[in-house]
Amino acid sequence: MEFSNFPYLTAILLSCVFGLLIILFLPDEKKQAIKQISAVFSGLTLVLSLVVFCTYDTGRAGLQFAERVTWVPSLGISYFNAADGFSLPMILLTGIVFFTGVLTMRELELRVKEFYALYFLLVTGVFGLFMSFDLFFIFIWYDVSLFPMYLLIAVWGSTRKEYGAMKLTLYLLAGSALILPAIIYLHVAAGGTSFDITALMRPGTFSPFQQKLAFLLLFIGFGILAGVWPFHTWSPVGHVAAPTAVSMVHAGVLMKIGAFGVLRVAIFLCPEGWKFWAPLMATLAVIGIVYGALAALSQTDLKFVVGYSSVSHMGIVGLGLSTLTVDGLNGAVFQMFAHGIMTALFFSAIGYIYDRTHTKMIPELGGLSRVMPKASGYFILAALTGIGVPCLASFWGELVVFIAAFKTYPVAGVSAVGALVIGALFMLRVVQRAFYGPMQAKFAHLADIPFHLGIPRMILAAVIVFFGLFPSVLFDVIDSAAVPFMRGLP
Amino acid sequence: MNGWALFGPELFVFGAALVFLALCLVKSPSPRRDFMVALSLAALVVVAGLAALKAQGTLFAEAYRVDLFSQVFKVLLALGLFLVICLCSRLNGVEARHHPEFYLLLFICTLAMMLLSSAVHLLSIYIALELSSYSLYVLVSLRRARQMAMEASLKFFLVGITASAVMLLGLALLYGATGAVTVHELARILPGAADRPLVQVGLMLTLCGFFFKLAVFPFHVWAPDVYQGAAHPATAFIATASKIGAVAVLVRLAAASEESGTYLAHALVALSILSMTVGNLAAIAQKDLKRMFAYSSIAQAGYVLIGILSMSPDGYAAAIFYCLALLVMKFTGFLVLVAVAFDGANIEIAELAGLHRRSPLLAMALMTSLFSLAGIPPTIGFTGKFLIFNAAIAQGHLPLVLIAMVNVVISLYYYLMVVKAAYLLEPALDPPPMQLPAAVNVLAVALVAFMVVFGVYPQAFIEMARFAAAALLK
Repeated sequence: MEFSNFPYLTAILLSCVFGLLIILFLPDEKKQAIKQISAVFSGLTLVLSLVVFCTYDTGRAGLQFAERVTWVPSLGISYFNAADGFSLPMILLTGIVFFTGVLTMRELELRVKEFYALYFLLVTGVFGLFMSFDLFFIFIWYDVSLFPMYLLIAVWGSTRKEYGAMKLTLYLLAGSALILPAIIYLHVAAGGTSFDITALMRPGTFSPFQQKLAFLLLFIGFGILAGVWPFHTWSPVGHVAAPTAVSMVHAGVLMKIGAFGVLRVAIFLCPEGWKFWAPLMATLAVIGIVYGALAALSQTDLKFVVGYSSVSHMGIVGLGLSTLTVDGLNGAVFQMFAHGIMTALFFSAIGYIYDRTHTKMIPELGGLSRVMPKASGYFILAALTGIGVPCLASFWGELVVFIAAFKTYPVAGVSAVGALVIGALFMLRVVQRAFYGPMQAKFAHLADIPFHLGIPRMILAAVIVFFGLFPSVLFDVIDSAAVPFMRGLP
Repeated sequence: MNGWALFGPELFVFGAALVFLALCLVKSPSPRRDFMVALSLAALVVVAGLAALKAQGTLFAEAYRVDLFSQVFKVLLALGLFLVICLCSRLNGVEARHHPEFYLLLFICTLAMMLLSSAVHLLSIYIALELSSYSLYVLVSLRRARQMAMEASLKFFLVGITASAVMLLGLALLYGATGAVTVHELARILPGAADRPLVQVGLMLTLCGFFFKLAVFPFHVWAPDVYQGAAHPATAFIATASKIGAVAVLVRLAAASEESGTYLAHALVALSILSMTVGNLAAIAQKDLKRMFAYSSIAQAGYVLIGILSMSPDGYAAAIFYCLALLVMKFTGFLVLVAVAFDGANIEIAELAGLHRRSPLLAMALMTSLFSLAGIPPTIGFTGKFLIFNAAIAQGHLPLVLIAMVNVVISLYYYLMVVKAAYLLEPALDPPPMQLPAAVNVLAVALVAFMVVFGVYPQAFIEMARFAAAALLK
């Protein structure tokens, strides 16, 4: 057993687990108590993630906050948590989205206890995956974060919820069907004594052929969850069907798990495979960017618009990862963070609008900004972030990725930027049609977001603006992992 | 160690069976008394099994081998028997006057399975297998819904005797080719004789008898009808305990023929893929919960075969671990089935509607057991599959594992349909909340805790399985 000092990472996991257990033992009827307990424990995880983020030493390369407990010695499995520059932004992102998601669902009345229990389970898996450096545990956390999704969408969702839930679950499980054999394959190829990523990533552990094979399996497996074209079709359908908080976590954090898995497992362990398959990654990423942007144009459902633009934005992450440069990695991780906050805000705003107007159809909404200036404002802020307006977080991620991509793949870079510009134009049209123009009389009596429901949206908006103004806070952290990693490659 | 002590658990089960033989003769039926007697005797069988865990030695002129491997299986069998008898508190599916016979057959079958896990002489293996099969044929027919039960029993019997005949032919060929009568002689002779077609055919045909027990393709046809036709606890017994004995002897034979394993491994790969695929695809179409369980257990048999065909100590250990996992997971499913179908009739999957309101605990138990069967962490079913796949990939079976994982995804579909019925569908008539005895609730909590805790921290059972597999190869 080995702890550097106070085990902050385990504390984050435990506060999720304790929250879950307390919720399980509260009676169904105490809805208010359940919501308060959820807010307290999710707030606690946010505070702990902030503490970890702020006390991380960017001047020191390597893993920090390491905690290691031997788990199954005969197979070399250990409970090994640590944070580095890649995972820290993700942990903070999860903390923010988790807490704001809980606050967003304050008006939930249906099967409250089960909802929060499953939601906590989901987030436990997400946190665990971002922290873990043991392949076995990464796989466990991956699946723990997936299987509550089925019930969360099928019970509390809307718009073809059962279809969306089943499609999502089967797609993501198909991803894990590739990941598990690949993980075991790597474990066996390295001698069958360790699942520890830091041990397995030593150069020379795997032959080039093994790396290429495993990388492909891992890339497709995790790529399904990251919404890589052509495996993305579950994602818009799932986003649309899911209830607000689940859409937030799902698009905001869960898709990042996929991209993060590609980075942490595939790229870390199989750098030769990474170099070999990078052109394929770049091609799929650019197709995803263009396709997502174009598909978003023809949607009439607000959630579908965001769903497809997510595919497009996750393509930018994929493009960054495929450039084989420090800038590419930096930009990709920054974009993961920024996109997470942005989509959470998107879905949070849409959730409020849908709760009040009972429609997500753009033509039916028209002129909503006069009735709900605040709700519309949050949506428009998220839309501007997505477009890549300077001084908002996403701008920096996109900029850095595109600079890196122009150097490595000029054609891909140009087409991606072109798609983004077209996408931006049409996103503005969506904003114009849904929020401006003549007001619908039937919505005139609706109230705007009251203060207590506005808190989560304010937090998200503040985070977007903060990291838009001070991107170096995040870039310094990511850089402290990306530079040593790229230097360590053969 | 003296012979009596070595044979302790078996003798105890035999004694318990005699008690029920005597109870059969009592005129006045008393289900409560029969249940309490059976429950306490089964609990004592578990104790006896645990007490004899460390026993070692051979009996009956080397025809019967007691080692850690066999003793672990005997404990699993005893546990299976005990759990199944827990389901019998309201044995509505069987007429009251038949209850003593029902328990008698359960004990006899357990005895036969215990003999099977220790038998190393080919003939004693055959006899033990037949004893267990015949007691099951009768067990299946003991149901109130006579017509369905008789049909199931007859089908079971016909497939069973066909498999036995094939197996006898295989034993004869094997004996003719090698002159070996015990598993150890086989292990000695086979490496030199492995490329002779007669030996290959003989070995393959011999295994058919166990494929029948395990419901491996193409000997699976009995499973759906028998599962559907038998009383719920009888189905639970067939689904859990009766598979364990077959796995034990399959592992023993596979370990003996390890050196000559390539042909055998190829054949097993094919059977495993077919079992998984046929079982999973057919399960999708099922409406009856027990038929769904039947097809799912055909598919599960395919996963177990992957562990066995790896032909390595890790593979055997994985198969043993997975047996334990299957026992608990399937039993949990049947616990929910028996509680929901309180009148002993069959239920359709759709009849689980509203379970999450009628009994949140049972709904959770059902969901955990189904996710565990599908192999989703953090459950014991995942850990079992993980060990099996680990052993298989270590032996170079990566394509097989990929196919198995595709099957996992297919199986998740129909498991999710059941979860959906329990959590999403609302029944047409609002049934009242279920009044469950406290014991059922305690059992459900214990099973869920077992599946999750040992899924997350499986170290103890992995070690046990490894030691058992090591004892096998000594």
